Amino acid sequence: MKMESSIKARKSVFTHILWRKIHKWVGLILGLQFVLWSISGAVMALLDAEKVGGHAAPAPAPAISMDETAGPVGSLGSVEAISFRQLADRPVYELTAQGETKVVDARTLEPVEIDKGLAERVAREAFGHETALVSVDRLEKANLEARGHGGPIWRLDFADEENSSSYVSATTGRPLVNRGDTWRTFDFVWMLHNMDYVNRTSFNHPLIIFVAFGTLWLAFTGFYLLFKSFRRREFNWILGRKRTR
Amino acid sequence: MAIRWPLFIRRTHKWLALFVGVQAAIWAASGMYMVAVHIDYIHGDHLVRTPEMTGQDLSGLVPPADVAARDAGTREVKLQQLLGKPVWKVSSEQGAYIVDARSGERIPELDKSLAVEIASSLYTGEPEIVSARLLDEAPQEMGSRKPPFWRIQFEGWNEPTFYISPTTGELIGRRHNLWRIFDIAWMLHIMDYDERSDVNNPLLRVATWSVVAMALAGAWLLYWSFPRRKKKKKVKAVA
Repeated sequence: MKMESSIKARKSVFTHILWRKIHKWVGLILGLQFVLWSISGAVMALLDAEKVGGHAAPAPAPAISMDETAGPVGSLGSVEAISFRQLADRPVYELTAQGETKVVDARTLEPVEIDKGLAERVAREAFGHETALVSVDRLEKANLEARGHGGPIWRLDFADEENSSSYVSATTGRPLVNRGDTWRTFDFVWMLHNMDYVNRTSFNHPLIIFVAFGTLWLAFTGFYLLFKSFRRREFNWILGRKRTR
Repeated sequence: MAIRWPLFIRRTHKWLALFVGVQAAIWAASGMYMVAVHIDYIHGDHLVRTPEMTGQDLSGLVPPADVAARDAGTREVKLQQLLGKPVWKVSSEQGAYIVDARSGERIPELDKSLAVEIASSLYTGEPEIVSARLLDEAPQEMGSRKPPFWRIQFEGWNEPTFYISPTTGELIGRRHNLWRIFDIAWMLHIMDYDERSDVNNPLLRVATWSVVAMALAGAWLLYWSFPRRKKKKKVKAVA
């Protein structure tokens, strides 16, 4: 068998021997990532997307309590953005002027400080937490779990099965995101999958494009080699023929 | 009888590859597409003009509290622009709508010409309209978004399409052919051929673990695939 192939090889370089060699060497160089991709892909398919979360919006804000008259907005001057809404137990204006965002009480127009207690109330309403609060931290800018959001941020850890951490903006008091242990596992394998080991966000960087191209070779040469690797008698068990020899 | 490991592993690799080999090739190809075309481009960021942040004097506007007071289910009243005019966007338990911030009057659902005007003002290219239709049912490419919306398609090789909300005038979706190819690549990648969104489907679970086994068997095979010097000489002599 080997002799035969080698003789053929002299006629043309592009035999399956060459493809087998390419498959082997590309496999040696990129095989580890191929294994990591398949394992991380399999784990992501296994983790319940509902439990991973991250895509679901927090519970909608409560309706604005209208029992008291809100203050006039005219005196606030010129703004780039303004929103009238409910923050826990009172109506507020969230406004951006000269690039700076703040929240003021809608009745008194006094600034509202987003403190620990308010952040906890927001987190419980938005993410439905009923268990005890374990710890509260103020982050000046987003950590890896709250990435994509601007700081400062309150991080609130709850004593539930998922070890949930809720993130609430310390500027606007809006609920940002809730992360649990299932998400943390998912995010780790997602990092292995997208190969962005620092930020875990981009899947369009040169490293992954290079390795993906190599893997495309691995998959395609491997697929071609399938036709060279099987002999007819290996299908006898399906075709219902008797084994020869 | 002793198991001949190299043979056993090679057979495992080969047979698993026979069953999931096509899918492995599809994963590699669809993955290649998804990493090669930048996600910001796929999202259509290049199609949309980013509006300038301009200051708005609040003194000439109807107070948002008055707007909210008319609707007991109001959750938020937010300042927005509609073709350069200030409007209050009201998010209520009954849904979202817009109110003219100067007159305080509720703006009725947008007609075709207004929807086309809004889409054209946001589009970065030459706004040549191919079609403009009001859809009551979400097409595949708008998946989870809630209809109705105006579907405005522009002239161009990649068929850029904007979806405008008739109730708020907001741009709620932008699609183009590279996005549509990405969506197909994603469908093939997660093997959910109906909804293109379920990443926990049984087919995907079986296929992924089979490929894990195939990959590990392949890695094991590498151990025998690079003969040591002594063996290599022997092979050469035969050749």
